[in-house]
Amino acid sequence: MSADKFSNQSITPDDLAKVNSQQFTPISHVYVKVNLMCRLVFWLIIVSLLLILYWQPWFTLPKTIELYLPQIQLAVGILGLLSSAYGVIADKQKGYAVREHDFSYCSGVIFRSVISQPILRIQHVELKHGPIDRHFELANLEVFSAGGAMHTFAIAGLPNETARKLRSYVLTHSDIAEND
Amino acid sequence: MISYKGQWLKLSPVAIIYFAVQFVKDVGNNLIYLLPAIFVGYNQFSENAVTIVSGLAALLVLVVISALLKFYFYQYRLTEGRVQIHSGVFQKKHIDLPFERIQNVRFEQPIFYRPSHHVCMLLDTAGSNKLEAKIIALPKDTADALKREILSYKAQEVKTTENDEPQTEHEQLLNSRSIKDLIMHGLASNRIWIVLGALAPFFNSLSEKFIEGVENMGVDVDALMESSQYAFWQYFLFFLSIAFVVIAVMALISVLGSVITFYDFKLTRSNDRYIRRNGLFTRHEVVMKLSRLQMIVCQQNWLDKALKRVNLKFEQLGAGLERQSAGTSGGKIMVPSVTLEQANTLASDAWPENQLKTIKYHPVSKRLAVRNTLIAFWLLVPLSIALTYYEQTELALASVTLFVLATLLIILGWKRWGYAIKDDFIYLRKGLIGVNYRCFPIHKIQQTQLHQSWFMRRFRLCSVKFVLACGGQTLPFIKKPTGEKLVDTSLHQVEALKRSWM
Repeated sequence: MSADKFSNQSITPDDLAKVNSQQFTPISHVYVKVNLMCRLVFWLIIVSLLLILYWQPWFTLPKTIELYLPQIQLAVGILGLLSSAYGVIADKQKGYAVREHDFSYCSGVIFRSVISQPILRIQHVELKHGPIDRHFELANLEVFSAGGAMHTFAIAGLPNETARKLRSYVLTHSDIAEND
Repeated sequence: MISYKGQWLKLSPVAIIYFAVQFVKDVGNNLIYLLPAIFVGYNQFSENAVTIVSGLAALLVLVVISALLKFYFYQYRLTEGRVQIHSGVFQKKHIDLPFERIQNVRFEQPIFYRPSHHVCMLLDTAGSNKLEAKIIALPKDTADALKREILSYKAQEVKTTENDEPQTEHEQLLNSRSIKDLIMHGLASNRIWIVLGALAPFFNSLSEKFIEGVENMGVDVDALMESSQYAFWQYFLFFLSIAFVVIAVMALISVLGSVITFYDFKLTRSNDRYIRRNGLFTRHEVVMKLSRLQMIVCQQNWLDKALKRVNLKFEQLGAGLERQSAGTSGGKIMVPSVTLEQANTLASDAWPENQLKTIKYHPVSKRLAVRNTLIAFWLLVPLSIALTYYEQTELALASVTLFVLATLLIILGWKRWGYAIKDDFIYLRKGLIGVNYRCFPIHKIQQTQLHQSWFMRRFRLCSVKFVLACGGQTLPFIKKPTGEKLVDTSLHQVEALKRSWM
């Protein structure tokens, strides 16, 4: 936590704390695995649905669809594998950093982005965990500012414990206490 | 102070009209989708006049009963520091709103409230639009007193040691708009195209009706089209004049719309509060605390540029939610079609240190134009080649022309982009044919974002997005060190100054 010491050193623009030279902590590797599993299961379901459609005895399919269904299945399967692989790469790029006065979150493979949220501007914090997250003890931290729901700052795939710590870091932060 | 505190109060009977009008409006909004059907089935309807009339009568009775019920079940109470409202006939709604959660107080005065001097008071809360409380009919004096009390409530809480604000608040007129200004605004604003867009679904049936109508007058349209007795230029002139008439009618509608919404527009200031009053039929009154102001926007489309006018907007909280309502309702304050001089005076009245008028903008990287041109190229040029291959020369030519036009617009758009950072403010300029200037204090930033695509990484460029309470502002294609410095400076100002954003 920040100490309440008063300091007043002069700062030139080059001496400012740099957002981009922070050490970003990668998100939990459990999350990467869980995400991969979810994606694979999702694509598996789609491919199996297509298979069921192909083998089902109840009604006859239009000729063209019947002709191209195996190709479509193959394409969907490959797309699923590729997107899952991409998902792993993308998840490995995600990371967060905490400084005294703000959070940052980086993500993206082709489109990289670093989002920074000053703690002073936080309106409320939410911890979200779905059934799968709960099973693997993961949580999503969502931070809302007055920027609106479109600009919610979210860190996905945090271990439960870390997420709770981060939340209490925000809630007990002096900037928030002063603002209330 | 208000004397009837603590009791549950009924509205003044004039509210019955309000409920009735609201009901008719709601029904009307749903009926709009049936309009084409009504047009088409008009003949059948006219044969069953009795049914129609009795249907209308039933509707009227329904309106009256619903309005009376709503009136009967509506009651409100003003207790120490909170507003409570009970409403609803079948679905009960209870609102309990502490004064300190009220972000904004607005008045609406529909035309039928004017003789009895009543207003409808709208209390906005932060966050969602659904948490809005409406006191349907209050006498004007009571409403004014209540407004003063609500707005000073928070201030009192904060500075209890200070003396109360002087009772005699005097309002200083900052700007008013004459009919001439509003006509100019109507001509220049793009509402024509909004109206056209809204009419789009009916174009087919409208044009059929039109041709039918013309034919009924004894003109044979088909023969007119086919006959060779008119030269090409005559047709051209004919359609040109029709287009001209249509545009003139649309412009007239737009001017009327502008006059009706902004009639007798007055922007006044009393201490730290801005008050906007406008409207011909329904009078609107919006109060904004200066500290709530997030961004000043000066908008100029090509017609505004020609007329040397600017639309000045004071954006406050959550303007994104109210963007659809064309700046009439909601908490946003728009001053229509002011001169450049007036715009500058207003801007510096709100934020004296801002330099919207004199600031020099830095250009953004020309790679923005290059990238957009490349996108347009890959979308249109291969298409035109393919079209040439299939011997669709005309379409191919059109596609190439489109590419040239798009490139011109892209270059124009790139030239418009500009940014500046000076003292405590960030300035952005953008546009295409028109221009849009934005200015906001750095300490009001809620969040910063730095984006970089693969293409931008190669050229060491980035885009920066500043998220404000009134929405995100993007600055594309600037040098990466500049972008990083902007983000670092913004975060530093927010975190070190710790100034409030509202």
